[in-house]
Amino acid sequence: MQRYSIFSLIKNAFSNHQNWDVVWRDPEPKKEYDVVIVGGGGHGLATAYYLAKEHNITNVAILEKGWIGGGNVGRNTTILRSNYMWDPNGLFYEYGMKLWENLSQELNYNVMYSPRGIINLAHSDAQLNAYSRRGNSMRLNGIDAVMLGREELKKMIPFADFSTSARFPIFGGLMQPRGGTARHDAVAWGYARQADSMGVDIIQHCEVTGFDVRNGKIEGVQTSRGNIKTKKIGLCVAGSTSLLAEKLNMKLPIESHVLQACVSEPVKPFLNHVVTFGAGHFYCSQSDKGEMVMGGDLDGYNSYAQRGNLPTLQHVLSEGVAMFPNLSRLKILRTWGGIMDMSMDGSPVIDKTHIEGLYLNFGWCYGGFKATPVSGWTFAYTIAQNQTHELNSKYKLNRFNTGYLIDEKGVGTKTWIG
Amino acid sequence: MPQNLRLDKVGYINRDKKISFKFNGKKYFGYEGDTLASALLANGIHLIGRSFKYHRPRGFTGAGVDEPNAHVQLYSGAKTEPNVIATTVELVEGLVATSQNCWPSVSFDFGAINNLLNKFFPAGFYYKTFMWPKNFWYKIYEPIIRKAAGLGVAPLKPDPDRYEHKFEYCDVLIVGSGPSGLAGALAAAKNGARVILAEDKPRFGGSLLTDEVTIGNKKGKDWVDETISQLKSMPNVIVKNRSQVFGYYDHNMMVMSERTKDHVENSTEFTPRQKLWYIRAKEVIVSTGSIERPLVFGNNDRPGIMLASAAKEYMKVYGVLVGKKPIIFTNNDSAYDTAIEFKKNGIDPLVVDIRTNSESSVVQEAKNLNINIKFSHGIVNSKGYLRVNSATVGKLNDDRSGYESLENISCDCICVSGNWTPTVHLSSQSGNKLKFDEKINAFIPSKSRQNESTIGSANGSFTLKKSLEDGFSKGYELSNKITAKNIKGTTPTSNERNYAQHDKFWCMPLPKNKYYKRCVDFQNDVYVSDIELAVREGFRSIEHVKRYTTLGMATDQGKTSNLNGLQLVSNIENKIVPEVGHTTFRPPYTPVTIGAIVGREVGKHYRPTRKSPMHEWHEQNNAVFVDAGLWVRPRYYKQENETLLEAAKREATNVRKNVGVCDVTSLGKIDIKGPDCAEFLNRIYTNAWMKLPVGKARYGVMLREDGIVFDDGTTTRISENHFHMTTTTAQAVNVLAHLEYYLQVVWPELSVNVLSTTEQWAGAALAGPNSRNLLNKLFPEIDVSNEAIPFMGYKEANLFGVPARIFRISFSGELAYEINVESGYGIFMWEKIIELGKEMNIEPYGTEALSTLRIEMGHVAGSEIDGRVISSDLSLEGMLSKKKDFIGKRSLNREAFINPNREKIVGVVPLDKKSMIPEGSHLVSDNKASLPNPKLGHISASCWSVEYNNPFSLAILKDGKNKIGEKLYAVSPLKNKSIEVEIVSSHYVDPKGERVRS
Amino acid sequence: MLEIKCPYCGKRSQNEFSYGGDASVKRPQLGKETSDKEWNDFVYFRNNPRGKHSELWHHVAGCRQWFKVLRNTATHEIFKTSKISEEL
Repeated sequence: MQRYSIFSLIKNAFSNHQNWDVVWRDPEPKKEYDVVIVGGGGHGLATAYYLAKEHNITNVAILEKGWIGGGNVGRNTTILRSNYMWDPNGLFYEYGMKLWENLSQELNYNVMYSPRGIINLAHSDAQLNAYSRRGNSMRLNGIDAVMLGREELKKMIPFADFSTSARFPIFGGLMQPRGGTARHDAVAWGYARQADSMGVDIIQHCEVTGFDVRNGKIEGVQTSRGNIKTKKIGLCVAGSTSLLAEKLNMKLPIESHVLQACVSEPVKPFLNHVVTFGAGHFYCSQSDKGEMVMGGDLDGYNSYAQRGNLPTLQHVLSEGVAMFPNLSRLKILRTWGGIMDMSMDGSPVIDKTHIEGLYLNFGWCYGGFKATPVSGWTFAYTIAQNQTHELNSKYKLNRFNTGYLIDEKGVGTKTWIG
Repeated sequence: MPQNLRLDKVGYINRDKKISFKFNGKKYFGYEGDTLASALLANGIHLIGRSFKYHRPRGFTGAGVDEPNAHVQLYSGAKTEPNVIATTVELVEGLVATSQNCWPSVSFDFGAINNLLNKFFPAGFYYKTFMWPKNFWYKIYEPIIRKAAGLGVAPLKPDPDRYEHKFEYCDVLIVGSGPSGLAGALAAAKNGARVILAEDKPRFGGSLLTDEVTIGNKKGKDWVDETISQLKSMPNVIVKNRSQVFGYYDHNMMVMSERTKDHVENSTEFTPRQKLWYIRAKEVIVSTGSIERPLVFGNNDRPGIMLASAAKEYMKVYGVLVGKKPIIFTNNDSAYDTAIEFKKNGIDPLVVDIRTNSESSVVQEAKNLNINIKFSHGIVNSKGYLRVNSATVGKLNDDRSGYESLENISCDCICVSGNWTPTVHLSSQSGNKLKFDEKINAFIPSKSRQNESTIGSANGSFTLKKSLEDGFSKGYELSNKITAKNIKGTTPTSNERNYAQHDKFWCMPLPKNKYYKRCVDFQNDVYVSDIELAVREGFRSIEHVKRYTTLGMATDQGKTSNLNGLQLVSNIENKIVPEVGHTTFRPPYTPVTIGAIVGREVGKHYRPTRKSPMHEWHEQNNAVFVDAGLWVRPRYYKQENETLLEAAKREATNVRKNVGVCDVTSLGKIDIKGPDCAEFLNRIYTNAWMKLPVGKARYGVMLREDGIVFDDGTTTRISENHFHMTTTTAQAVNVLAHLEYYLQVVWPELSVNVLSTTEQWAGAALAGPNSRNLLNKLFPEIDVSNEAIPFMGYKEANLFGVPARIFRISFSGELAYEINVESGYGIFMWEKIIELGKEMNIEPYGTEALSTLRIEMGHVAGSEIDGRVISSDLSLEGMLSKKKDFIGKRSLNREAFINPNREKIVGVVPLDKKSMIPEGSHLVSDNKASLPNPKLGHISASCWSVEYNNPFSLAILKDGKNKIGEKLYAVSPLKNKSIEVEIVSSHYVDPKGERVRS
Repeated sequence: MLEIKCPYCGKRSQNEFSYGGDASVKRPQLGKETSDKEWNDFVYFRNNPRGKHSELWHHVAGCRQWFKVLRNTATHEIFKTSKISEEL
């Protein structure tokens, strides 16, 4: 594989960039694989990469219905963080942060990990206390967190509404300095390129139409490009998980909902952090291109449409303008929607199942992007070792029977409110 | 500069009204009716900005919203607006515009060094480098890239303007007022339908403003004016210009932004800047027209190179010549209109036509005018750094892979036409799957998924005759579905030039050993070589190409570039275009101001503010308020220089010693009536309700079905079949919906009705040892003794003529009463309480003192009921009835819920009896343990106990019931605090509850 | 913005309503023995089809009635709405 660097870039410039290799091959599916990963999104690509790298399992296929990186990894707001209160989440995502920190070098692909800090604004003492509970929990777990006062925030985000006309004044905030952003497409492509170089077959435009299960064991998968034999299948299809599970007669504790995001036109940089609004649900950062990247609430009803409606956006942007009144004169350039696999406690499942050789990875709600490396890492472990790793041992499917739920927000099963 | 580029008579501008404006600090003049673009062009200015990546000089490409290049920053300060397309800005007196993305000036820009180094910055170069050393990306490279990126400058002050929303319903919405749209609107309106006609531009008419046509023996523009005034005179028609329908949403909801201020010379402060229209239309006619595509050749992105249709529009609408030595470069006939227009205005154009010949009438007309035409030729390259000054024109060889000969021809503008792309954005947004039309080499709508009909050139019909026919027949057909009036007019006759088939060749090959930059996406600097590189590297899906090269991702969203990019990928991949597919069309069609989407929900009006009827009294008495959801409640009543803690101590002490009064209006109140009320409550709450006597209240806890505590409160039996429920302030709305759900969906057999009465009642809580004496004064006519109104008793009484409800309930743990009167009497009640309580040293107390009182009593509130705890965690397991089923009960026997190590609510006291424990601290057994340090529990609420005069906190602690008496550490690393504490009972004060019963 | 026909009030825009999720979820009868599986299915497991979905909506800013909606989750098209007591 060609190594990317400033030198290879210069060298190739002199041959007019005619000699770059393909980033990944476009192979025909083989008859049989050791492991088949369904879903060529971030989690699927990362899983295949770690299967090859950490477990030396390279006879792996990734089956993707459309084009790789086209699901939620290509339509999120690129935020990375591990600012969780509950231990199972905090420790899991913190391991993920450590993977993020080295990812560009590991993949030899610039994923533009940018630890610019994520700030959760608080608008009352009660909210500051709730944030303290979370922040202190993070610190006791070895995760970075600092409390910011109103005056400190004024220096960092002077354009936020610190005026007397704010409906919910800013009291302070909780910041995770190592939180930040990464370039979403690059994550998918970087994993794909390395996985491909280790022998993983990335098969695009290949839809899974059924599963071969005999005596409670996986034997293969049926696809739009023929049947493929395998003993292990990992599902990484986020919002579509219920649809594939249905083919296996499984019902899951998730609902699929559409979440919209939007970007403004690009402007010169003025916002250097990721900031979330506490008196509502809004988050915002400025991309390297200069666009304000914004998101908030779900549209609030089951949907597979990858498109939302304007009232939700109106609601979300009103929160944005309440936080940063100067956003009002910027213009929305593009809006889009992604399908979220909203789980009943807001936390994911990475587990094996009652069918031998069938592994599930779902329930990421709207937090899947930041989990990409650690989800792939633990899922690869679970598939390779046929058991959960300590990191994902609390993300078992049977927690919905035992009651060991991980409800970060405390809203329960009304997923559309979360 | 004299305006010798302005034509004498042509155009629709008002030559009687001169308008002055500033561009890059210099003063210029234009006329009323100009756009900033037409006025600049009339002043001979083509150079307006710089491209995003390479900072190449940029001019005008179009004349409308398709413009990819001509961005300016308008004004400065709070009113500044970045990234405004000059082609859409109407000229007003005093307009100030500056070029963006260049330094120190647009004509000399340091950023242009990127262009010299462009070889090293191909598509996606940033993915391949900047990885070493590791921290340099965030610390060095990214800041440099960020600074270089972005276009204009965002305002940093709040927007001084206001925006409004309007909701409208209609039978037929017509988007676009070109020939097909006007015809559709007229037909539908005449047939009695309620019609809205929306036009983005200030002028109606679309292509009729610039085409040489007649309709019913009238000139096109005259027919437009007549039709518009006819439509405006009809009461069933709304006609709107400056109104962009930018989104087609579900169930035929269309959203339109109307510009109402920026073009007005003397607007007032309160004129809304824009109005956002939500239009629910029964039928939608999409007549949005089409956009001309550029041809691609070497250095085709210089200022002075523009679309042929734009050049024509500048002449015909604004009377402006975009140059005096034009070359028209085309692969189709429509550009000949532009050539003829130049000729008519005394300018000799050269036409370079890729085709070998064309027999159409328009070409014949051009030939008859002696216009110089070079068939089988193409422009290979252009020269001129800040403005094009010559073109290399080549004769294409037979297979069009190269050139037989090249010559250099001087020029001052190049007008290009690569045929027309239907504007299918709205149709596609409606769910209509597009199909590829081979004849026009572009996508058009296929099957409608909503009540959407796309007609005219948006549907790929480029003749006036067909557009008018389609407009009239669609307008009639759709309206008749609704009105059934059968009023059908006749389509007027029309006359137009005829145009032959275009040539699909559009991207000029490079001559041997030449590596000219051939631009596809002007704003984002995406060149043919970038797309070739992307495909070569395996980014073969069009979505991958788009994302890797950023093709079509600029502020114009690829209006002029996407199809060319697609054609290029299909050429390289040797596929037909429909196999490559297209990227998704997403709203908005053109960028929409965020303020317009938000509307009036800004500042204090971001969310409603709920105030109690006693709010003004609180204000007058120095209350410091706190937000509780949408409610605003007094937190404390400040005296002199008191701190929050001092005030809370004072107010709480007064409750414990004398009597205090607290505004509890915000508590949720629900009226419950019907014969099955008791049974219903028995199912909703965890404890028993069947035997609650009339005139008594009871405390209840309700669970969610997953067993988690949902809310708590007291409910009182007013009469046999009438209960009054209270909820927490936070959950009031959710509890009502919860009750309605069970009554309507799960147990419809229960005869019960529920109604929110939160706002019907004003509530005051009297608490403290003197509260009974005060009650006696307030209600001298009734017996207020412990026997007459016992703990949890209820009585209706008369407060000096005002009907009142008295509940003997207590949150503070003191002897306490809650008095409710109808909201309108709230202030009367409150003032009476204060007046009569004076001699008992009454003081109002706020939520902070209320918290203090409840915390030291061990009563739970929102900070404990946080959506994650079960009854036993809160020591409320005694309230779980064993005799009956209730919501959530079945969940309680799950493994996690019966785990003996579960959390329990406890009290926490610092060993030094001095240090307040910060809320949100965690309890650990070793404050110096290595991380991760196992957490045993957390501090949910802290106060200064006025009873014992030391700090006291509540905590939710693992295995808490067995930890009483143990010593732990309460740590808050965020505040750098570690406090050694003793675990005690959560009932710190009056554990037996004697006071409330006294 | 969806347009939803409340069976009591008629067609209204979506912002008058709040969502209530999968309408096929049936609460086990009070007081009746239910297996763990039956109970947990009720609490946590949902129909989540791409296509026709029967769901509950609540006319919160109107008549405050809950009702049923048959809607396509892929296109958002609404086929039918009905009162709780009626078949969808």
